[in-house]
Order: sequence, then structure tokens, then C-alpha cells
Amino acid sequence: MEDKDKFDRHGYWRSLNELAGQPEFKENLGREFPETVLEGLAGLSRRSFLGLMGASLALAGLAGCRKPVEKIIPYVTPPEEIIPGIANYYATTMPMGTDAYGVIVECHEGRPTKIEGNPRHPATRGAANAWILASILGLYDPDRSPKIIHKGLENNWNDFVAFWRELDKKYSTTGGEGLAILTEPFSSPSLFNALQMFRRRFPRALVKSWSPVNYKNSLSTLENAAPGKLKTVYSLDKAKVILSLDSDFLAAEPDNLAAAADFVKGRKVDSPLDSMNRLYVVESNYSLTGAMADHRLRLSPDHLSGFIRALAGELIRRGVNINLEPASETPSAFSFDETWIRALAEDLSAHKGEGLIRVGGTHSPELGLAVYHLNRALGNIGKTVTYYEARDTFDDNLAPENLLAKGTGDAISTLILLGVNPVYASTGDNEISSALAKIENTIHFGECFDETAEHCTWHIPAAHYLESWGDVWAADGIAGVIQPMIAPLYDGRSTVELWNLLATANDETGYEIVRRTWAGILPAADFENKWRQILHDGLLDNSASKPIEINFADESKIVINDSRATTSGKLNLVVVPDTSVFDGRFANSSWLQELPDPITKLAWDNAALVSIATAKNLNLQNGDMVRIDDSDTAVPIWIQPGISENTVVMNLGYGRTRAGRIGTGVGFNAYKLRHKKEISLEKTGGRHHFANTQEHGAMEGRAIFREANLEKYRRDPKFAEKMVEHPPLKSIFKEHSYDQGYQWGMTIDLNSCIGCGACTIACQSENNIPVVGKEQVINGREMHWIRNDRYFVGESDDPRVVIMPMACQHCENAPCESVCPVSATTHDKEGLNVMTYNRCIGTRYCSNNCPYKVRRFNFFNYTKDMPETVKMAQNPDVTVRFRGVMEKCTFCVQRINRGKQAAKKENRTVRDGEIQTACQQACPTKAISFGNILDPDSNVAQIKKSDRNYALLAELNVKPRNTYLARIRNPQPDLMQFDSDMEKE
Amino acid sequence: MATVGFFWYYGSPKYTDVGYRPIQPVPFSHKLHAGDLGMDCRYCHSKVEKSTHANVPPTQTCMNCHKLILPESEKLLPVRESYATGRPIEWTRVHMLPDYAYFDHSAHLRAGVGCVSCHGRIDRMDVVQQAEPLSMSWCLDCHRQPQKHLRPVNQITNMDWQPSAEQISFAEKQIKELNINPPVDCSGCHR
Repeated sequence: MEDKDKFDRHGYWRSLNELAGQPEFKENLGREFPETVLEGLAGLSRRSFLGLMGASLALAGLAGCRKPVEKIIPYVTPPEEIIPGIANYYATTMPMGTDAYGVIVECHEGRPTKIEGNPRHPATRGAANAWILASILGLYDPDRSPKIIHKGLENNWNDFVAFWRELDKKYSTTGGEGLAILTEPFSSPSLFNALQMFRRRFPRALVKSWSPVNYKNSLSTLENAAPGKLKTVYSLDKAKVILSLDSDFLAAEPDNLAAAADFVKGRKVDSPLDSMNRLYVVESNYSLTGAMADHRLRLSPDHLSGFIRALAGELIRRGVNINLEPASETPSAFSFDETWIRALAEDLSAHKGEGLIRVGGTHSPELGLAVYHLNRALGNIGKTVTYYEARDTFDDNLAPENLLAKGTGDAISTLILLGVNPVYASTGDNEISSALAKIENTIHFGECFDETAEHCTWHIPAAHYLESWGDVWAADGIAGVIQPMIAPLYDGRSTVELWNLLATANDETGYEIVRRTWAGILPAADFENKWRQILHDGLLDNSASKPIEINFADESKIVINDSRATTSGKLNLVVVPDTSVFDGRFANSSWLQELPDPITKLAWDNAALVSIATAKNLNLQNGDMVRIDDSDTAVPIWIQPGISENTVVMNLGYGRTRAGRIGTGVGFNAYKLRHKKEISLEKTGGRHHFANTQEHGAMEGRAIFREANLEKYRRDPKFAEKMVEHPPLKSIFKEHSYDQGYQWGMTIDLNSCIGCGACTIACQSENNIPVVGKEQVINGREMHWIRNDRYFVGESDDPRVVIMPMACQHCENAPCESVCPVSATTHDKEGLNVMTYNRCIGTRYCSNNCPYKVRRFNFFNYTKDMPETVKMAQNPDVTVRFRGVMEKCTFCVQRINRGKQAAKKENRTVRDGEIQTACQQACPTKAISFGNILDPDSNVAQIKKSDRNYALLAELNVKPRNTYLARIRNPQPDLMQFDSDMEKE
Repeated sequence: MATVGFFWYYGSPKYTDVGYRPIQPVPFSHKLHAGDLGMDCRYCHSKVEKSTHANVPPTQTCMNCHKLILPESEKLLPVRESYATGRPIEWTRVHMLPDYAYFDHSAHLRAGVGCVSCHGRIDRMDVVQQAEPLSMSWCLDCHRQPQKHLRPVNQITNMDWQPSAEQISFAEKQIKELNINPPVDCSGCHR
């Protein structure tokens, strides 16, 4: 049936080893769990093991017969709203810098266990990304600091309040001379009130904000022409042509959830008559946005400005009115791909008012300004990109190395660090720690005793947002309140409480402070009702602000610099925030560390990524350690197909020295290199072992990921099914009819899936999936029930990337069920493949037989050492598995059961959309659809009728309930030759 | 053969679990409260119709009456102490299902399974003991033939209710009306 040549024809590969047909790769293919050195050395043979077991059983006797004593502990005075066994859902908002994400938290008996998006909030729209979903684990992080520390000894809040009041008295007389605050940026009315009060009382104090990754950087020049600080809202659903200049808006930019949802609206193809938007991406790193691109141009960062200049030139040639300053210096010799730019310019100019150019938020203000002008000339402002006033926002970005520099730094006698970690995250090898030592009082406020807290005289544990009161403005001005789900677990205080103390010297609770703020914002009449409404909904309806106009006083010429010339022999360094740990704040989250990077597939690590050509020039292989310039830092190399030439990319957030038991010592600190634009590499001869999941479960040769150009789809809508020929599918057994009751099925739309991994973390949170650690990931034993398989397509140094989510397909003729010797995996009459953990004896034959390799085995007792607080994060509706038991996706059977029971109690059937699996709920683009396939009106039944629908490995006659919708790409007709690999049919 | 038979009976929940009667911290007598005084099960186990768990009542429920009734009784000292200090009473669990088996009380009450069917004559017990094995096969006996064991929904707390001669036809009618569909697949209880 399969022919091996199909592998070459389709051109899908997962790693360079596979592409090269290396013998190790072929060998590893046969084994789901690759052999390790340890396995070879294990002395005990199976025979002697069984012999020993038999003997010990005879000796064990009936010692374990005593019934365990379990206690039932009821309340004394029960809270009214808690029914033990039924979860409550409360709305709150997760703040991340100046951005707000509305969430709904599932709480069991007063403790939060799962975070979901708030369907009414514009920033999340019911979805969530990996950071939001994993923040529940951050609440229960056992490495959060429990107590206030003063000069190395435990202290308490009252003593700190007394201490501050002393300082307050002292500084009041001098107007705050010598007092300084460095805070993380915020966009909150309560905090802004406190800030203004603080400034009024201490006019000579230095108050600055800073965050190591600042997505508002490119806005700063623009803000000079605006009434105040800006927030940008992109309406990607209105854009037909989108150009991303190093802007990973699908996964990294702060509006990633809304951007992904809107972007995909323009790509949903239900019939050949539908049109699609077109995405061009220009970038140096390989991001998820680049993976979704119809056309991707790899460009090292020194040429980005020159590219924009060339684009502006092409647009002018097409009649777009851009007042471009002529190039002052001799233009660089670098020639951009003319065909590419021309096609891009054609598209943009043909869609005035319906296009969008986005530059990465962390880029320079000059580039931001240039892009603004291009958008303006194309008529996009007010249509696809709108600016709003950032209310109550404090974000003036002063780097700590400047704050503590000689001069200003010497004058500071008390420094308060709120939610920042400059010792770890400041750029370069600066002397922050020694500068801190010189300051008389340093007060650190943060969730854990981190690198900075070590050098401070006071450390105040910060309450997690799930334990705090607060408020925060979303991008378009929608108000949201943060309400606590649980009383603070430790002796911490929330941000509003500390700010209030600093500003007023009063010790009030967060509740009082936030209520007071809102009493000032909400109309006085009916305040109680409105207040309760805001807490219930998670946001204040109709509070969106109006968009603002930016007016430039003079119509001066726009300056766009040319490409920067890179010194020969040097490589450009690009430092990007990580998709898992962001800027390092999530380094102690085991879920996020284990989540493989969506493109490199590295888990528990970061690396210096280089392109294939660069690696060849410098004779580098995966895992080689290299020294950067002359520093002592050595970092490992990972060869990443598709990043630009002469570039080295490093992810931030790793190499922490005091992050807790999970994050300390993982990866390499890129902050220390961030100030360098150009570097040279030198092999040290050392080697580094990576945990990379790209080759786990590789499925060679078969048409796994099916896609086509829009043209081809229009000619042949049912192309997806036709990609695999097979004889009529007949089974030797009498098959079940499955025509009664509910029949659950799922579809995954590959046209919408961006590969962000939110589904993986949502599933991990909902189903108590354990974390196995780096060593076990190397052995292929990661436990994710839904994973994202990344494939490269095409030529090795400039490939396309496609990502395919893979979970249990719930086959009607499941190959795993027929081989279980103890019937631990069965099929229920609603079409689910069910796993009964207590019956499983661990033969692993089911996993052996599974063609999709979605069954995960508990090789060890991964929950043995689970800290007490992490146990609180477990979902009580799902069994926690022990060693020796196989597990896999259950289509969230606990949610199905809960939904059915609720419907039964109301004497009705389950409504479509009432039961959502965790992955479906979290997906920002709603790529996953789940429901009753027997109900012809259900969403999933209608999607399964789509022409693009295909079942993976259907030729095996396993009849999966989980099907996929093939991907459609929308390349520009002039650039079709770049996609010739798709047109071989 | 003898060994098999030995383990077949003595290893089964019929022997190991039935009759389990642990000592409780408070000498609460169901015979007095539910039997002689005729209190309905749901007065104390108040969430049983809404929730998967049948909750053991909080101290406040006891104090509802015992603030005024027998306020000085020595037997009730742990209850008054609990109410005063805010530390809950630690009852010993009698009916234990393993953690991987998920049971929903409210679904069973909705269908018309009487309390006595699984818990026995609680109203005759001074100290609660387990009356039925609660093993999977015992549960499946009813799940496979619910018409033998159902009763009118308004009789579920009636300890004395006896099935009539028309039990099967009555129960089948109830099954149809209430759309009762007891799961016999693994996913019904094992998640």
C-alpha cells in the first residue's frame, strides 16, 4: 500500500537526520522509545526478574489486608456557594505587564484548579495561551517565598509597615530625595492612583518602570505625537493582506490571542468560493507566524530597515503617497529579492485600507514610526490598526543599568523593586548586584526569592494574581477587575496593597482599595449592582474607549535607514523572548519547561540557533558548545533550518540561578549577550545533550499533513481524501453501528491551527498529566496527551513549517483495544476509546499497536514527590495515575460525564457546544471542534462534511473519530515558483 | 480449588467490606435520628440531590438543633467544641470506593434508587456499618437490570418501602419517562 518513495515526493521531514536518511534515524524509527545507554547496562534479565517476583510474592503473605482508614472532614460553618463535588467558576483577569487577559477559573471547594479564557473578554475571547493556562501552577509553585525576609531573617508584615512608616516620615521632609521605585509596567486605575499619590507626596523621588521584554518599544516615537501613551489594536479580521516584519503576532506579541482568532477568520475556507487573506512574513528567527505564512522571507536583522526602505520604494512606484527621505549614505550592496518585494507591494497597494503592516513590538521606535507611515499611506489606520489612549498606564521604560548608573545611582538611598528582577534580566555584564549593595535600603517585591532578592535588604513575597484584588485595563479600554480565588497561601501581599502602603503609609486590604477606586469610576447610583456585575462578568461592558487620532505637526519626510553593514566574519545576534518561559518569569513552571518549543522542539533548554549554512561554515553540529566573543559564556548550538543567514538566535528566559527547583540551571542566559548586535563564535570542544522531541513518533512517508494551494483546492475540492489511495475498507469483524445516543467526534482544522501549544497545556492542567523531566524527554517518555508534531517541507535551508496536533484518534476499530490482555482499554457505546487505569498491567502492547503513537506510559511514579501545594492544582475529577499504567486522551470524559449529568437533571439532551474538551476550549483559533456527530446540526457534524475533511491513516481501516481538515495556502500568483513543491501533482 | 474458593469468598468485598463498622469521634446514632425521630436523610446530607458526593453535614447542621436540645450533653461535647473552635469533626469514612471509581449520588437519586438499596437499614443502626459490598460486580448487577431495583422518586428516603408485584412494569415505565440509562461501559465510572 505505502511506497517508500512517497516520502521523497511529499517532501515532509522532521529533522536533518531524517532528511539525510541517517542510519541512526532509521534505527530509531523502529523503536518508539529510543535506546539509552542505561538500558543497555541494566544487568537484570527478564527471566531472573520474574523469578525474584515469584519468590517474593510467596513470602509477602496477606500483610496488606488491613483496610485503610479514610476520614471525612466536613465544614464547621459551610460557605453558602460551595457544594462539595461541584465546581464553581469565577471570572478574574490575569495581568501581564500592561496587558490584561480575562479568564474564568474553575474552583473546587475553594481552591482554583483550572484556568480558562473568559468568552466575553476581548483579549482572550474564551481562549487562553500556554502562559495563562500554566499560571495555575505558578500559584501553587512550592518555591514561592513563604515569608518576608529582612537581612536574611524571617520577618512579618507589621514590622515592615512600621519600617516603611519610619522611612515615610523621613522622606516626607525631603520631598522624596533619594527614594526610588523601579516597577514593572502596569495599566491599572488603582495602581495609577497610588502612583500619582506617591508622586504628589514625594515629588523628588525617582519612579520608573521597566520590563526586560517591552512590546511597546516600537511605539515610543509615535507616542510623542499622540496625546499620551498608546495601545494598539489590530483588526486582523479586516485585513486581506498582512505583512509581518519580525512580528510574531500569533504567539508572542501581547495581543496574540485576539490576533490569532482574527487572523484565522480570514482563512476559514468552507467552499471553493471562499477567499482567503494572505500573510507575508519577513523575519530572522523561525516563529509560529512564519510557519503560518503564505510567503516567508528570511532576512537577518541588519537588513530589516533596508527592506522596509525597498518596500517603500516599490509602493511609491505604485502610486502610494509616501514622503520618503532619500537615502543619505551609499546604499548597501545587499540586494533584496526583487520578485518578492514587487509581489508584496502589488498586494499591499491593491488592498488599500484592507492591508496591514506590523513590525515586532520590541523593535526600534524608528522602525515603528516608519511602519506607521507606511500604514497611513496605505489607508490602514483606523481600519486594520487603531490606536487608543492607554489609560492609567505607567510604562516609561528606563533600564535598571541606567537607573543605577554612576550619578543617579549614587543618590539613591532607598530603592523599591516591584515585580522586577534586574540582577538576572538586565542587559550585559553590568554591576547591578554591587550597585544594589551600595544602597542603604533595598526592598524587593516578587513571588519568589530570586536573583535580585538575594541582594536586597528586604524581600516581600508578592501574592499571585489568583490570590489578589486588583484591576487592569484591556487594550481597547475595557475595564477588568482581578478578584482572588483563594486567600493568599503565604505571607504575601498583593501589588495594590503594597503600592497603597508606599503611597499613603496606610495598611489597607486590597478589597478596600479596589472598591474605593471603582467607587470613583462607576456612577454612584447603583454602585453595588454595577460592582457585582463587573465581578461576575470579569469586565465592565461598554467601557471601551474611543480610538484616537495621531497628528504629526509637520509633514516632514520619513526617514528609513538602509541596511546596516555587518562586520565580515561576525554574525548578527537576535535575542527573542521564549514561547515557554517568556522573559524568564515562568522558568520555574515545569509544564512550560517541558512544553517543547513549537519550532525547534527543544524542551528544558535553549540554544544558540544557527542556519544550516552558518553551521557548515563554522563546522558546527547540534550540541557543540561555542564561546561567544571572548566571554566565558559557552552556549550550545542547535541547527535550525529556516533562520536567516549570518544570524544567531537565542531565547531569553533561561540560565537562571535562583528560580526554584525547576528553573535553576536550565538553559543559558541570553540576557548577558543582549547588548551585542554582532558576535563571533568559537567552538570550545564541549558537547551538550538536548532533549528534543522532533523525532519522537516520526511517521515516515505517509500523507500525514495534507495541504494544497487555494488554486488547487478550487480545481479539486476533495484533494485531501484523494491523496491516499487504498482499496475498499472492509473489516473481518462485524462492526458496531454506533447509531444511537451521543456519538462523540472531533475535527482539527489544520488551516486554523497555529501550533501554539495551548491545547497541550490545557490538557495537562485538566487531566493531571505529570511532568517527566529532561532525561525522560530524551528517552521519548514525555506524557503530553495532545502534542504538536512539527514537519519541515521543502528545501533544507529555507523550508516551510507545518504543525499538526496529535491526540488519541478514538478509532472505532481501535488497534489498541484488541491487543490488551486484560481489557483495560475498551470502547464505550458513545464512540470513546476508554482507558481503565486500575486494570492496566503495563504490557504496553496497546501503545505498540497504536499507529499514531498517542498512548503514553507511566514508566515511573511521577507523582511520588509531588509537593503538597502542587497536589492542590490537580483536578479531582480525573484519576491521578500510578506507575505502570498507560494513559491517553479521553476526549475529556470527565467533562462529557458532567455535561450529560447536568443535562439529565434538567431532563434534556446535551446542547451542541455545551461540552467542550479542554483543548478545544483553550484553542485561540478554535481549530478544534468537538461534539455529537449523530446530531446533523452540530458544529462538528457539519465540519466533517467539508471537502477538506480527511482521516489520518484511514487506509488502515481504524475509523478514527478524530479527523482533520486539510490546510490551504494562499500564495501570490507571481511567487508561485517558490511553492513548486506543492504543485508536483 | 480450595485456595481459589478461599480467596473467592474471603478476598471479595462481600467479606472484607460488608459489616465494616468503624468507631466514630461522636457517638451519633442514625437509629435515634433517622429511625425514631424520623428525620429525612436529606436534612443533613443536604447536597445529595445536587452533587456527586453525599456530604456529611457540617457542625452547624448539628448545632441547628443541639443549641437548644441537650445543650449540655457529654456525648455532644466534641460537636460543641468543633463549633466553638472552628475545627471540623473528623468522621471515619465507612463506604469507600477506590479513587479511580467516580460515583455520582445525584444521578442515582434522580433515577429513583433508594438510599436503603446501597446503604441498608441505616435507621436501625446505632453505629453505621457497611451493608452492601459496593463492589463493581454488585453495582453492575443493578446497572444491567435496573428495573429490579428502582422505586418511585418520592420514596427514595423511605426505609420501609417494599417493591410491589408490578415492580418490573412500573420500573420500566419510570426508566422510559426519566430516560434512565445506567452506564455499563467503563467510561461511566472510570475516568
